[in-house]
Amino acid sequence: MATASGGGSEFVDKFPDEAAIIKASFLIAFVSLGIGAFFGLIQALHRTNVLRVIDSADYYTVLTGHGVLLAIVFTIFFLCGVFHWAVARSLDRPAESALFSWAWVGLMTTGTVLATVAILGGLVPNLGMSADVLFTFYAPLQAHPIFYIGLAMFIVGTWLAGADWFLSYRAWRQEHSDERIPLQTFMVLTTMIMWYISTLGVAVSVVFFLIPWSLGLIESVNPLLTRTLFWYFGHPIVYFWLMPAYLLWYTVLPKLAGGRLFSDPLARVVFVLFLLLSTPVGIHHQYLDPGIAEGFKFIAMTNTMFLLLPSLLTAFTVVASVEHGARQRGGEGYLRWLGALPWRDPAFTGMALAGAMFAAGGFSGMINAGMNINYLIHNTLWVPGHFHLTVGTAVALTMMAGSYWLVPQVTGRKLYSRPIGLLQVIMWFVGMVFMSNAMHRAGLAGIPRRTAEPQYQNFEFLTPIGSIFELRVQIALGGTLLFLSVVLFLFNILLTSLGEESDRPVDSYLPEPLSGPEGSPRILDNLTMWTGIAAVLVVLAYTLPLAGIIQNGGGLFGGGLPVPATVSAGVDLVLTTVTSAFNTLWGVVA
Amino acid sequence: MAVDSTAEGAASSAARASTDGGVPANADSQGDSGQTDPPVDSIVGTADDGIVRELEHDDFDPVGTLVLVLIYMAILIGMWVFMYFVEFLGRGLTVVG
Amino acid sequence: MEIHAYEKLWLALALVLIVGFIGTITYGAAGAGIEMIDDKGGTVDPATLDQHPKFGDPGIERTGENSYDVYVVARQFVFEPGTTEPLRVPAGSTVTFHVTAADVIHGFEVVGTNANTMAIPGQVSEFTVQFEEAGEYGMLCNEYCGSGHHVMEGKIVVMEQGEFDSWYEQQQAQGEAEN
Repeated sequence: MATASGGGSEFVDKFPDEAAIIKASFLIAFVSLGIGAFFGLIQALHRTNVLRVIDSADYYTVLTGHGVLLAIVFTIFFLCGVFHWAVARSLDRPAESALFSWAWVGLMTTGTVLATVAILGGLVPNLGMSADVLFTFYAPLQAHPIFYIGLAMFIVGTWLAGADWFLSYRAWRQEHSDERIPLQTFMVLTTMIMWYISTLGVAVSVVFFLIPWSLGLIESVNPLLTRTLFWYFGHPIVYFWLMPAYLLWYTVLPKLAGGRLFSDPLARVVFVLFLLLSTPVGIHHQYLDPGIAEGFKFIAMTNTMFLLLPSLLTAFTVVASVEHGARQRGGEGYLRWLGALPWRDPAFTGMALAGAMFAAGGFSGMINAGMNINYLIHNTLWVPGHFHLTVGTAVALTMMAGSYWLVPQVTGRKLYSRPIGLLQVIMWFVGMVFMSNAMHRAGLAGIPRRTAEPQYQNFEFLTPIGSIFELRVQIALGGTLLFLSVVLFLFNILLTSLGEESDRPVDSYLPEPLSGPEGSPRILDNLTMWTGIAAVLVVLAYTLPLAGIIQNGGGLFGGGLPVPATVSAGVDLVLTTVTSAFNTLWGVVA
Repeated sequence: MAVDSTAEGAASSAARASTDGGVPANADSQGDSGQTDPPVDSIVGTADDGIVRELEHDDFDPVGTLVLVLIYMAILIGMWVFMYFVEFLGRGLTVVG
Repeated sequence: MEIHAYEKLWLALALVLIVGFIGTITYGAAGAGIEMIDDKGGTVDPATLDQHPKFGDPGIERTGENSYDVYVVARQFVFEPGTTEPLRVPAGSTVTFHVTAADVIHGFEVVGTNANTMAIPGQVSEFTVQFEEAGEYGMLCNEYCGSGHHVMEGKIVVMEQGEFDSWYEQQQAQGEAEN
């Protein structure tokens, strides 16, 4: 579908309702990105002892905000925007009900606000409301009930978003009974099925244990059980972050490079593999946990190692597609063709740098996946070093670069400045090189993650090359560059959306792949079957370990007393409100 | 069919074979009506304006990709061996029971 | 389904790499004898830890000619033993740690080494390591456990066997005197 040069046929013209939803999703995503990035700056300067403007106790409040706003709110709202765009575009039809779409946006936003209020409450002294529990909220640390309630609402909102896209697909299917699922929609549907399977674990933990516990309705929870249910979800969430980035790398990056997708069938295979393998691996975050037998850890490890395969396949297909673009633009030779790529285009360069950085992040992830080598790096700064390369760059930088191409399509306005966009993505890459490499080396020295002041009395950290001081400087410098990069990004997007409408705001044409779906077995599109297999793999990986934890660990609710991270003065108020509201309703109904 | 179908793209793609694909400033004057122009022309995604030849499925062998991924594989193997045998096994207090 | 020859080569190499990783880990387990933390430490009731026969008075006890058990309780924001007084072990000994937490989840890391585990209320992490030469190690908590997480540290002192024996006898004597 080519863009005409007379204007009026951008996404926002064809699908105005969907464009409005996408704009709302992106707005919330970008606001969260800004706050989260600011918190990250505070952390980078604080833990390196370069500049401390808050109490160290408040560091953990800021860190919770950083994790939740960036790894949950920013990434997932952006995913919702991209997926809503991709479904409408690839099926060439609007959503079934704009009202329903606004409902999930509203539910997700409400949940976000509740959880964020609970978190920020930790910065206000004597408020009695806080959620200093970090992104992982491990019991028996306890947050205010509205933290958990907000998260639950957010997750339910994402379930409704998935339903929105499945409804579109079902309506399309009725009119196209024999066709292959268009690739972008295929990616959306497989990602959402994976999400439904994986959020089950955290939903059970939050709804049946953490919410009632934080309200005082049950006395205690089994900490290993809720932690295991978290990680059941906590690994697949990384694929929920990655798969929208992969959607952009497979279906948009080739065009940005001047080429075409090398293989549609392989892209489908990759997404099916993620659907199957993302969830039955969560125990690799618990290699050093007591209460889980080594055999279950070994199974999680082998599943995890095979989960490398779809990413390694992606490396080939995406690079081949980019190479195709380079050669179409006149590139020659074994490596010289890299010079023929459109490096001045921030959307291209951002995604290319993100992909290159992912190659490095993939390696540190391979180390994390190694069951016994995990002793070396568990809970050290190596782990954030790893995930700032993956979610922090492969995903976040791709999302920012993709925004330079998508925001014009949903606003009808040109990007305010390509050069500033280019500076922004390069600055992100450079900042991350400094910060992440230093974090990896610091982790090997034993410096812990999630720690406000990793400077201790009893001992010194040692590093074979360089010095601890130089590692701290790199982290502070890198963190500062990353923050400035976000400022440039937000500035550029803001001015773009305030600009004048344009007849040709962006080149949004997407060419056909070199190898289309017709060459691939139809069984790839059999979503029901893949869902069934994925469920079986999850049951196999988790039934016995969970049974062991429940039977041997003191039952569903554990045996010990809970220790709230802070005392919630608001609990009684909530309880009274809820019970009196219920009594009122009952009085009306009965 | 892969080439951008706007008039300026088709006409000048050959001439701009070695550029980065940015649309030159004069093209920007079409269609804008009295706006304050952003600092430099800002159309994102114009790499296909720089296409000089179309490569179909059978014309293309991703040999450059093969070179890059083989280099990557070599780095992975080297780094893994170093990390496992030097950093990890070379360290004290390994858990043996 | 048609897959380009180069991509087939890459797929094969990727599978070899994956098998190679699994193989290395297995070598570490079977060859180098590395064991994972698992469920053999059993469970405890975190609410009554002070009355537990071992965790009620955490410390080191001799179990054989060159082997010892060390019981460690992690709580906000100290290791018992380790923080107020260092944890002492003899050089050249085989020590089995039993680590649990009294209140929230903590981490137990011996800095610069491969000794690393989670301390989870209700569960006991049991693991064995060999201490070689005399010297000192730092300990720290590497799992966020509350507002004082960053002050939670300790020390392990590895003593020459002779010095350790005299210290140990003194501890036993004091313990009996107190009972």
